[in-house]
Amino acid sequence: MKTFEEKWTAWVDGQLNGRELSEFEASLPNKAAAEAEKAGALKLGELLKRELSARTLTNEEFFSHQLRENIVRRCDAGAREARSTWWTIPRLLWTGAASLAVFLVFTVVVMHEKNPAEESQYLTQILNARVDPVVSPNASLSIFKVKQDRVTVLWTEGLQSLPADYAAK
Amino acid sequence: MGRSPAFLIFFIALMIGATSVLQGAETVWSGLVIAENVTQPQRVPPELTRIEGSLKKFFGYNQFQVIGQSQKTLKTGQEDWLATSKFFGLHVDARGETEAGYVLNLKLYKEKELLLETDTKLSKRSPLVIKGPQVGGGQLLLVLVVQ
Repeated sequence: MKTFEEKWTAWVDGQLNGRELSEFEASLPNKAAAEAEKAGALKLGELLKRELSARTLTNEEFFSHQLRENIVRRCDAGAREARSTWWTIPRLLWTGAASLAVFLVFTVVVMHEKNPAEESQYLTQILNARVDPVVSPNASLSIFKVKQDRVTVLWTEGLQSLPADYAAK
Repeated sequence: MGRSPAFLIFFIALMIGATSVLQGAETVWSGLVIAENVTQPQRVPPELTRIEGSLKKFFGYNQFQVIGQSQKTLKTGQEDWLATSKFFGLHVDARGETEAGYVLNLKLYKEKELLLETDTKLSKRSPLVIKGPQVGGGQLLLVLVVQ
């Protein structure tokens, strides 16, 4: 069952017909005023249709130019947003390369300075040596370092020679 | 903590522990060696293999025979030991350990007679060779190597 408002809207839109139309028109208290109102509503509808319809663009190129500019602006804003993080991949790469370079420089410098000390530290050292002056009065001592196998040699000269029997196990 | 990092930390700790234990117990080989020139030289004893080239080049002999030796595992760095042959004795007295090796006092005896005494810092990477007296046609050498 339609309400009066629904029937009124349908009547104004011209969608009532037959028995429904005659019954609705008979129910109107003042048909002339209703007809005037209907005519006003239709006129208003036509006016709105005419005024509010989409405007046809007079300059398509201008519109697409505006659109492109808008897209570019948005892309730039997006890129700026993406760049706002400090640790970007190029920066990471540069930082890594720089760190490696600093490390290598320091390693080379430190190793270069440290090598001579290390060499002596890791070679056996003779702190002192003596022979019995009574048994070997002409004995002398020298120290050599053989770099090939890092061998340290305490070289004695003038020790008393012994017969071959002393080579026994 | 995940299982992998925990395992990694445990493994590293184990390695460090094992390394320090290994560092704390090293063996010093000390030998009395007769160097000679012979027509058919015998093979160099395994303890001298790593310095064979230097021995031959420096002393000019082609055969090196061990007549007395001793192997001592140092735990405190304060141990002493003796390497002996029939007539010679090498007494080694360890007097402490440094980062690079051991401080040793060495005494070479011919029977009971002291021929030579020296204090040395024996490096773990650097063998020590002492030229002793001439024995017959050869030469007595004292060799100390941290193994």
